[in-house]
Amino acid sequence: MSPRYTVPQGVPARIFLIVSAVVAIAAIVVAFGDVAAKRAAEPAEIRPALFTAGDPPIAGEADVFRTHAGVLAIDPGAEPRRSAHPRTLATYRNLREYPGAPPRIPHGLTPDEFQNGGCNTCHERGGFSERFGAYVPITPHPEMGACLQCHVGNGQLMAIALPSTDPSARCRQCHTPEGGAWNETTVNWTPLAWPRVARRAAGSGPPPIPHSLEFRGNCLSCHAAPSAVAEIRTTHPERADCKQCHLPSDGATAEYVRPTRTGGVPRGGTS
Amino acid sequence: MRSVERREFLKGIAAVSAATAGSALAPGTLLSATTGYSQDAQSAVDWSKAPCRMCGVGCGLLIAIENGRAGAVKGDAASAVGKGLACAKGYYSVQALYGRDRITRAMIRRGRGLSVAPMSEALDLVAQRLRETIQRYGKDSVAIYGSAQWSIPDAYVASKLFKGGIGTNNVESSSRLYAASAMAGLQTSFGLDGAIGCYEDVDQADVFVLWDINLAETDPVLFSRMLDRRRRDRSVRIVDLTTRTTRTSYAADRSLLHRPHSGLALANAIAREIVARKWVDREFVDRHVAFKRGKTGIGHGLTDDALVADEAIAANGGDYESFLAPYTAERAQQISGLSAGDIRWLASLYGDRARKVMTVWGEEANRHSRGTWLNNVLYNIHLLVGKIASPGNAALSLAGQPSGGNAVHDAGSLSHTLPRGLVSNAVDRRRAATIWGVPADTISARPARTALPLFRALDRGDIRFLWIQATNPMVSLPNLSRYRRAAAKDGRFLVVSEAYPTPTSDAADVVLPAAMWLEREGVFANVERRAQHFEQIVAPPGEAMSDAWQMIEVARRMGLTRLFPWERRDHVARIWEEYRRFHTDDRSALPAISELRARPGVIWPFVGGRETKWRYNTAHDPAADRARGGFDFYGHADHRAWIWLRPHEPPAESPDRAYPFWLTVGAVLEHFGGGAMTQRIPTLHRSVPRAYLEMNRDDANRLGIRNRETVRLVSRRGAIEIEARIDYRSRPPRGQLFAPSFDEGVPVRQLMLDAFCPLSGQPDTTICAVRVERLGGRNVP
Repeated sequence: MSPRYTVPQGVPARIFLIVSAVVAIAAIVVAFGDVAAKRAAEPAEIRPALFTAGDPPIAGEADVFRTHAGVLAIDPGAEPRRSAHPRTLATYRNLREYPGAPPRIPHGLTPDEFQNGGCNTCHERGGFSERFGAYVPITPHPEMGACLQCHVGNGQLMAIALPSTDPSARCRQCHTPEGGAWNETTVNWTPLAWPRVARRAAGSGPPPIPHSLEFRGNCLSCHAAPSAVAEIRTTHPERADCKQCHLPSDGATAEYVRPTRTGGVPRGGTS
Repeated sequence: MRSVERREFLKGIAAVSAATAGSALAPGTLLSATTGYSQDAQSAVDWSKAPCRMCGVGCGLLIAIENGRAGAVKGDAASAVGKGLACAKGYYSVQALYGRDRITRAMIRRGRGLSVAPMSEALDLVAQRLRETIQRYGKDSVAIYGSAQWSIPDAYVASKLFKGGIGTNNVESSSRLYAASAMAGLQTSFGLDGAIGCYEDVDQADVFVLWDINLAETDPVLFSRMLDRRRRDRSVRIVDLTTRTTRTSYAADRSLLHRPHSGLALANAIAREIVARKWVDREFVDRHVAFKRGKTGIGHGLTDDALVADEAIAANGGDYESFLAPYTAERAQQISGLSAGDIRWLASLYGDRARKVMTVWGEEANRHSRGTWLNNVLYNIHLLVGKIASPGNAALSLAGQPSGGNAVHDAGSLSHTLPRGLVSNAVDRRRAATIWGVPADTISARPARTALPLFRALDRGDIRFLWIQATNPMVSLPNLSRYRRAAAKDGRFLVVSEAYPTPTSDAADVVLPAAMWLEREGVFANVERRAQHFEQIVAPPGEAMSDAWQMIEVARRMGLTRLFPWERRDHVARIWEEYRRFHTDDRSALPAISELRARPGVIWPFVGGRETKWRYNTAHDPAADRARGGFDFYGHADHRAWIWLRPHEPPAESPDRAYPFWLTVGAVLEHFGGGAMTQRIPTLHRSVPRAYLEMNRDDANRLGIRNRETVRLVSRRGAIEIEARIDYRSRPPRGQLFAPSFDEGVPVRQLMLDAFCPLSGQPDTTICAVRVERLGGRNVP
């Protein structure tokens, strides 16, 4: 859609950005016009929504097909940014008490965010956050609006909500004396083991999905885009149907043995 | 409306941004091991091409061989089918060769059990019993039942041995269960079997109508190709016409639910709308289409030998219009449950001259006691608007097996076919007799029994010797216990060539160990007429032997060596070259074996080094006569495609008070056929370990059934126990149930009515009426 640029620096950069923005808006207008025109040509009977309220999709089955928003974290023509906090499995696990746990909120919230939960402003579509100097992780379930029902913060951090892009203030939104410490010492508890990250050596096939898809059927939200955890980022985000190759895996399932029961139907043989 | 447009737009740029962002932002942090294949290229690993054998799409694979064993799979980027992509079944397919309970030695029944015997002794016994049975009961008392998992050489040898050698047309295959109506549909509408277009239609169509097919699970790579097409062009629409909400529905732009057995009413209503709105392509219809009326009220194949010979009575456009008159959108709404508005909208997609339309259907539509008719009426729609046989305008019936297009029928694997022809056609019989070097009267002109009547004849004792290869009928037949009892009766001799123990091999008197794909050379041909060759790249285990060579060994023991004068090392090439002699003209010319070995696949007719991608289109098909305009439908003597007047008729069985639910059975992505291969592949087994019954939440609540509770599922044919799942993978509407059919431990086909399409003989093994009973809440672990 957009040509590839070599990115200028300094004042030309500003002009460049303005021009880019104009070009981008023009492209959007053209694209919308195109879609709208084609839509208008269709008969009036077409219903805009595939699913009615009484027939919600089965999460985990439907979500792999609705993940595209998740990779909008960077405009194709935009300059790649250096994230202050590239996500790795270490940082990912640090925010989760056990595999599948809702992640804790590692940063402060404004009073408004804390009261009204404006999380989706950033976490629905991702992108680069000037406020934190990092690419924003994308939620796999933006339709669930009550974020703070499951995702809890840290009282120390909540107390210092100061959205700021000033580099000196930016860090203090998370890094307070106690704010960043998630190390629990009051419980003697060992969480479930983390799933092994599949190393696809030749012969092992596409890695199966090692985790439950409950609330996490939206594969690309975690496995693609610049905010994805580096070790589990897919090389082929353009493939829409993830579960064509990557299968859910229940590690507890016993290996296959021929059944002795045949559900009440005669076996037909005598062996 | 606004938000949908926005989402469409976002979808379009998302993929682009993903691709650029991924590489730009995290150099060196990608999964480095995913690029491991290039390292293999430097090591001693040898990659060989082979078509995937796990469905009818026919993706090109590359198989890694290390120390004589198949150790890895990747998509073959040179393949025009998958273009480097496979699905889970393909990626794990090679593990099917290495199951722990693989049959590697022959087994002979002694008393109640099977005991291991040398292969030569087992082959001697098979030949002896075959000879004795023919002597005692006549040549029509012996039969072979194979499948579209046969490679073409296997099917060819079966046809030559039984039809040319023994002189009986008792060669049937499970293709009858899966593809017979597709074949009959093409033959009645176009006069010739074999797909009209090819998969490139997917890259060019603007609208896809998926007619009763859960393409995301049955043909995943083709579905991905469709999603790719939509990603490149936001105006592309995928419409899912379905009886239940599936993974395909979620990916589609629109999902339209309709009741089972309403396809004919829907298609006729769409045709009526096209005619009424004057969307008919007059020039195309006047020049290239004829109208035919066939027999009606043809029954449902419930009595033995109920096949009907149809007649084609000439009709005209006016007759067709009067025939369509009762099929108003409102009447079709009453029958189908799909709203009249949606029916008109579907018609408008076909009627819009600016859009190229591709309709795709598969086994779920074909396994229907009016399967041939349904194929006819879908072609009718495309013929009315002239959207057929040109790039992006297509009507394509898919098949689930690796030779499932028409390859295996064309080699003569059905009871009415010969290599390139029909037993009832004197020209075809003469050609076969000449090439085979047998007296012309060896080949009987009378078609033998189709699949269900064949097994009914086994039940009665008219068939005394049955050899089953590459298929598992004791899981796949409807009304299963009837045929399981038949196979176990005294005085029936059952030979089963298998790679794994199955309910079919359990019933055998002799089990012959079968060499699988990659353990023997062969040729499959997929749905788009693409012949794909594979070498023997690993050694078969123990005494396992290919199906073709097992038959040749038996033929030699019966004194028929002159029909099979080939060496084991080159017999596949020799068979292929002999089979090619049936296909010498532009209408069906086949590529040479050298061509097949060199390329990932070749579409036939292969004329002057060129593939014929769109048959009947004079710009693409050298057999089509340009003097006839843009198209020449040369399959029929009048050079026209036929629009058939096919009415909606009620099915053999519908839900009632005693059996209030529709049960649909079908496929899941992870498993193939009766599960003998895929259940033994650990990753596939863990993903779907056993069959289950999906029901609507409201029905479950009403009956007090909890998720994962074991229930009893009862039809007029019997009962099975099965685990209920609610909102699991797909979601049936109220009054409907779905169960996958892969699991020998939960043989759902037991419940099915053994009705069949009286024109094609294809059994109606998809849907029947059942009830659900609670077992008192006993749960499975």
